[in-house]
Amino acid sequence: MKKIIAVTACPTGVAHTYLAAESLLKTAKEKRIEIKVETRGAVGVENELTEQDIAEAHAVIVAADTDVLESRFAGKPVVRVPVAQAIKNPAGLLEEALSMKAAEESDYIKQVEQTKAERGKARSGPYKHLMTGVSHMLPLVVAGGLLIAISFMFGIHAFEQQGTLPAAFMSIGSGAAFALMVPVLSGFIAFSIAEKPGLAPGLIGGMLASQNGAGFLGGIAAGFLAGYVTKWLKTYIKLPKNFEGLKPILILPLLASGIVGLAMIYVIGEPVKWLMDALTQWLQTLGSANAALLGLLLGAMMAFDMGGPINKAAYTFSVGLLASHVYGPMAAVMAAGMTPPLGLWLATLIARNKFTAEEREAGKSAAVLGISFITEGAIPFAASDPLRVIPSIVAGSAVTGALSMLFGATLQAPHGGIFVLPIPHVVGHLGLYALSIAAGTVVTALLLKMFKKNVNA
Amino acid sequence: MQISSLLQEQAVLIPLNTADKQTSIEAMVDALAAGGSVTDRDAYLQAILAREQTGSTGIGFGFAIPHGKSAGVSRAALAFAKFARPVDWDSLDGNPVQAAFMIAVPAEAAGNEHLQILIALSRKLIHEEFREQLLQVQNAEQLTDLLETI
Repeated sequence: MKKIIAVTACPTGVAHTYLAAESLLKTAKEKRIEIKVETRGAVGVENELTEQDIAEAHAVIVAADTDVLESRFAGKPVVRVPVAQAIKNPAGLLEEALSMKAAEESDYIKQVEQTKAERGKARSGPYKHLMTGVSHMLPLVVAGGLLIAISFMFGIHAFEQQGTLPAAFMSIGSGAAFALMVPVLSGFIAFSIAEKPGLAPGLIGGMLASQNGAGFLGGIAAGFLAGYVTKWLKTYIKLPKNFEGLKPILILPLLASGIVGLAMIYVIGEPVKWLMDALTQWLQTLGSANAALLGLLLGAMMAFDMGGPINKAAYTFSVGLLASHVYGPMAAVMAAGMTPPLGLWLATLIARNKFTAEEREAGKSAAVLGISFITEGAIPFAASDPLRVIPSIVAGSAVTGALSMLFGATLQAPHGGIFVLPIPHVVGHLGLYALSIAAGTVVTALLLKMFKKNVNA
Repeated sequence: MQISSLLQEQAVLIPLNTADKQTSIEAMVDALAAGGSVTDRDAYLQAILAREQTGSTGIGFGFAIPHGKSAGVSRAALAFAKFARPVDWDSLDGNPVQAAFMIAVPAEAAGNEHLQILIALSRKLIHEEFREQLLQVQNAEQLTDLLETI
């Protein structure tokens, strides 16, 4: 059955808001239409629409003379009228809402993009800073990873011949792009914390971490240290007015870089290098049982919040390891990030009666998002039925992650979905890698078929 | 519900013999002022009229709910009028009004409890059965009894 949601609001908020709400409820009941009405009146917001309500709704009625946070309804068809209209002609409004066409495919993708953007905006504190660093680092990883792969196309040892084209690709990819990864990560973490003055000490701290082998963990430490040191210096150093101009150009870069650099060399560098070495060592000599366990964990994390902090933690971990030439977790993480939307798409095909017409339509978009490694593509489905959808996609992704690690699949690019698979040498054990993605997709789809309830179309 | 704390006997006007919307509103405001819940008659009247300016409170089906939030109101209160002759109120459905509730809300609407009662009343007016019962009411006592059922 099509479900309608509505919001009513008026300036005084004692009469029309509630008259309109009651009028819609009464008429909907007579017509046996499922409806939920949020009222925004003098006593605040009552019966507030949840993300789930919005996701499930066929269309939205906004009967309001004031602001009702309409951006929530992006991607849904909205009937927008003055509040009085809902009192005068509730039946007509409901008819109009029911006859609205369901969200189109492009709207679905828009919806996913909006969720991503909102999450980006909602990030705050250290998590936001880390993500700023990661997002600036990613293009370097993409460029570096793919150029190294191109070098391998000439033969796996071709780059060892100096002066050849494969050697050139290797020095662009590994010598330059990968070498910049950790400094840029660190630099932009610091930039996010302390703005422009944070960049230089961040880059310098990151470079030191990279040189002494402290890897991405050292880079993250350097970035946060540089950011907060610079911010602190900026606030607490007070200069006479005439000299204030020297602060950003001389004092801050000098002091912050000196402090961060010395800390990296004498205090933080060594223990983090030890930790990083131990981690790399462990990952490189991982037995198959441990490898599968790690893949299981990373996979589950990727699906659990679909692009949220837990997903990003697994992702950042794996991307960071690329800088230390450990490629297995990256493969597991990308595969596991692709299966949630893919599994949902497959489920809309094999369990048609468990999905509404709109969801079946949205399944096609989810497939596109899935093959592009946009895990967020699963969110609209998960939002409308979290208790059944999330366990299903977590299980599928965990299977995929475990298989990918078990098969020893590797991936040198941090993104790209299936579009990087055909590039030779980007993926190690391509056939088995594809198999692990397919396996997780099927697991997710079967679990959804089992758990989800039939919908009465 | 404590509807009696909102509705005082002198604010129940059955019947109210007025010619038009303006005089009807003034009569109801005066009734609320006499009961003591409206302390600044003119300020409250202004609030009511300003609300009518933004759109008629004639909700259709022969009912109107003029309302205003004002510093001239000392405590939330309700007035009811059943008109001797239907009054033109520029209603949503164009029909003249047979009865009206007037709602007074203090500027700082403390005590959500009172608001909740008024809200419940507004919701109730959508239901035909309740409106018919209201039009049958002959005096303050019967009105209070009916409203207690909300």
